[in-house]
Amino acid sequence: MTMRAAAIRLKIPDNEAYTALAALRRLGVQTGRIERSQIWVFDDDGDERDFAQRVMANESLFNPNKHELELLAGDRPREGEAWIAELDAREEPVRVRGVRGGRRYVAWRLFEHGHEPASPQTVRAAVERLLCNPAIERAMYS
Amino acid sequence: MSAKVAVLVFPGTNSETETWRICRDAGMDAHVVHWSRAATLPQYDAYVLPGGFAYEDRIRAGAVPAHDPMMDYVIEGAMRGKLVLGVCNGAQILLEAGLVPGTGELRKPTAAFTYNAPGAHFVCRHVYVKLAGDPSRCAITAALEWDELIPAWAAHGQGRLAATGDHLREIEQGGHVTFLYADEHGRVDADTTPNASALFCAGITNVQGNVLAVMPHAERDAWNFNHPDKREGSNILAPSGGARLFESMAKALA
Repeated sequence: MTMRAAAIRLKIPDNEAYTALAALRRLGVQTGRIERSQIWVFDDDGDERDFAQRVMANESLFNPNKHELELLAGDRPREGEAWIAELDAREEPVRVRGVRGGRRYVAWRLFEHGHEPASPQTVRAAVERLLCNPAIERAMYS
Repeated sequence: MSAKVAVLVFPGTNSETETWRICRDAGMDAHVVHWSRAATLPQYDAYVLPGGFAYEDRIRAGAVPAHDPMMDYVIEGAMRGKLVLGVCNGAQILLEAGLVPGTGELRKPTAAFTYNAPGAHFVCRHVYVKLAGDPSRCAITAALEWDELIPAWAAHGQGRLAATGDHLREIEQGGHVTFLYADEHGRVDADTTPNASALFCAGITNVQGNVLAVMPHAERDAWNFNHPDKREGSNILAPSGGARLFESMAKALA
């Protein structure tokens, strides 16, 4: 069994990410752009070569008209990114061929006004001020 | 002269009309105040945050409106002792703003009304909420009777009180739980709680007792035509049990 991670995000305009951007700016967290993704970390028994195809075949996870999928190298947030999960989140059954179950996160990836990922300080400020309610959620960030 | 009450409208609020009507019928001088008129809020004696989906529940229910400029005025007023009532989405906003239970820093929430359990399904169900303790613990409920039952409609996807163990103990021991989910006979248990809310909590107040967050909509069972079996009288426009919460708030403001 192999851990495999995928990010699924909108390829159409993401109003929720824009709201987060506007709210964070109002709170004094300066960031140029925000990407929001749904992260799935799977325990996979299947073939690595068709992993993306198997995930995209699940229409409740992936709608080709509005989503794009990116395979991730690891199960940790990337530079400039925070992953948020509910404190009482459990592994969820998912209907993906070869997959036993998955853990789901909401990922927020922050970028500077250029295209560089935001600094750890900026990500931390965004998490603490808005993106995570520590009473019910936990955050992982780089 | 009756107290001047602002019924706040954030982008996405949708229950302001019935909330305004019952505030007015209960004797308050209620006015609907939209987000673009936030600067007028200091002139009001109390604030009511109605239900809906403010900012479409983006990020988390209540998270974005908790930082809306309107909430700066609400927080300032609450700190000065003004009464604040939040219903459903309004309740979620008050928790995200840290006003209730109010045991931590402002806008650093220590609890939340989060996804129902099991299954995170939206619930729409007629319920009763039972006063959990001394009515005078919260100024808004002070005119209710001990153990009073109020009919209401639970209509939410995120109504389960959740917090870490320490904070839940703080909520329980501090007497913050104001309303419990009950049946029409006053029984309180897991079966009467539609969302697996911790402590069977349907409503929660702050340390000072001037801010109250209630998940079920009492304003949607405030006239007989709202009540499921209309057994409280044949006059469909007569007040129903849900009106009692707003009448109690009006008395507190008198």
